[in-house]
Amino acid sequence: MESLDPRVNRLNLSTTELTSKAPLDQLGTYEVFSQLKEDKPYFHVGPVHAPNCEMAFLFAKEQFSRRQTCTGLFVVETRNIKVSVFTEGEDTVYNYISNPGELANGNTESFELFHLKKRGKQHEYIGTIEASSAEVALSMVKSEFINDKPVYNIWIIKTSDIESSQDEDKIIWDTLPDKKFRDAIAYKAADKIKEFKERQ
Amino acid sequence: MTNTEALKELIYKMADDQLILGHRNSEWTGFGPLLEEDIAFSSMAQDKVGQSYALYQILNDLGEGDPDTVAFMRNADQFHNSQLVELPNGEYDFSLVRHFLFDTAEAIRFQMLTNCSHEPLAQLANKIKGELRYHTMHADIWIKQLGRATEESVSKLQDSLDRLIPYAIGVFEPSPMEDQIIEDKIFEGEGKLRQQWEEAILVVKSKTPLNLPYFSLVKPV
Repeated sequence: MESLDPRVNRLNLSTTELTSKAPLDQLGTYEVFSQLKEDKPYFHVGPVHAPNCEMAFLFAKEQFSRRQTCTGLFVVETRNIKVSVFTEGEDTVYNYISNPGELANGNTESFELFHLKKRGKQHEYIGTIEASSAEVALSMVKSEFINDKPVYNIWIIKTSDIESSQDEDKIIWDTLPDKKFRDAIAYKAADKIKEFKERQ
Repeated sequence: MTNTEALKELIYKMADDQLILGHRNSEWTGFGPLLEEDIAFSSMAQDKVGQSYALYQILNDLGEGDPDTVAFMRNADQFHNSQLVELPNGEYDFSLVRHFLFDTAEAIRFQMLTNCSHEPLAQLANKIKGELRYHTMHADIWIKQLGRATEESVSKLQDSLDRLIPYAIGVFEPSPMEDQIIEDKIFEGEGKLRQQWEEAILVVKSKTPLNLPYFSLVKPV
C-alpha cells in the first residue's frame, strides 16, 4: 500500500496478518553539554539526532555553540543518562535517596554528576565520583555535594560514555565572539522603528 | 619588497573561490538532509562568505575597490575563481564531496599562509584557523560515515569523487606570477599545496573503501 503522503508510508502499515512492529526510521538522540568559559561548569543545552557520537558532536557544535562564547562541548547518548526522581518546592531529591547497600566492591568507574537547581533551568555539572555503579554513585553523593538549597533532579553519566571536545580542537570557537550577526541585538532595529514612528 | 600585483592575484583567487562556494553551499539552507546538518552546512557557508569579505578588505587596503562592490558588481569574466566552486549543486553527496575536496585544500592553504610575508594575510590566516579546523573535521567525519555506510552511499560518494577530482586539482592552477609569489614569501606555491592536499585526501580515503585515481594521471579542469 503506497500512499502519496510520505507520512503515511513512514507508518509502515502492515499488509499481512501479524508482523513485528517496525522501528521508526530516524536517528537516536544525544544530549549536549557546553561550557561558556574555562572556569564555568558544563551545563546541559539540548539534544541532537545523530547516528553516532562523532556525528553528534559535529552537529552539536553548530546547534548549541553558535552564539556567545564556548570553551568546551561534550555529547552523550540520551539513554546513557541516569535520571533521578523529580521534586518541587523545598523538597530535595536527596530526601529520596537511600544509603548505599554495599560500597566498596573492588571495581569502580568514574561517574559525572549533574544537578537541576531550578525547575525550568538546565542540569549543571557538580562533580565526579568513583563508584561501582550509577546507583552507588548517587548514594555516595549525598554528604559531599549537598548544601542548603534543594536539588530537584539529578543526572548521572558514566564518564566513559562521554565524547568530549579535545583541547587542540578548542580553536573551533575562536571567532565565535565575532559572530554578532547571529544575535538579534546586533540589528539596531529600535532606532529605525523610532524614526518610523516619528514620521507617522 | 612584496610584489603587490602578485599578492593581489593570489588574494582575488582565494576570495572569489570562497565567495562563490559560500553561495553555492548556502543554497542548501532549508533543504539539508537533516535539520542539524542543515544548520551546520549553512553556518560553514556563512563562514566562507565572511572569510571572502575579510580577503576583499585586504584587497581594499591594497587599493582595490570597496568589498561589496568588488563582490557583487563585477562581470563574470572578472572573477578569478576555479570551476570547482561554481558547478551547480546536484544531490547532497556532490556538495559534500566538493566541500571535502575544497576545504581540505583551503585549510592547508591558510595554514601555509600563517607564514605569509604580507602581515594582514598572515593575521587573517591565524584568525580563521579554528573555523577551518571545524570545516575539515565536518568533511572528514561525513566522508568516513557515508564512505562505509551502505552500498548506495558508497557508490554515490564514489561517483561524485570521480566527477570532482579533476575540478579539485584545477584549484591548484599556478598563478601567472607564481615564481614571484614564492620568491616574495607570500605563499609557498600551488605545487607544494597540492602535494600536501593529496596526502590529506588519501588519509581520509584510507578509512573507507572509496577509490581515488592516481593524482598524477588526472587532467585538471
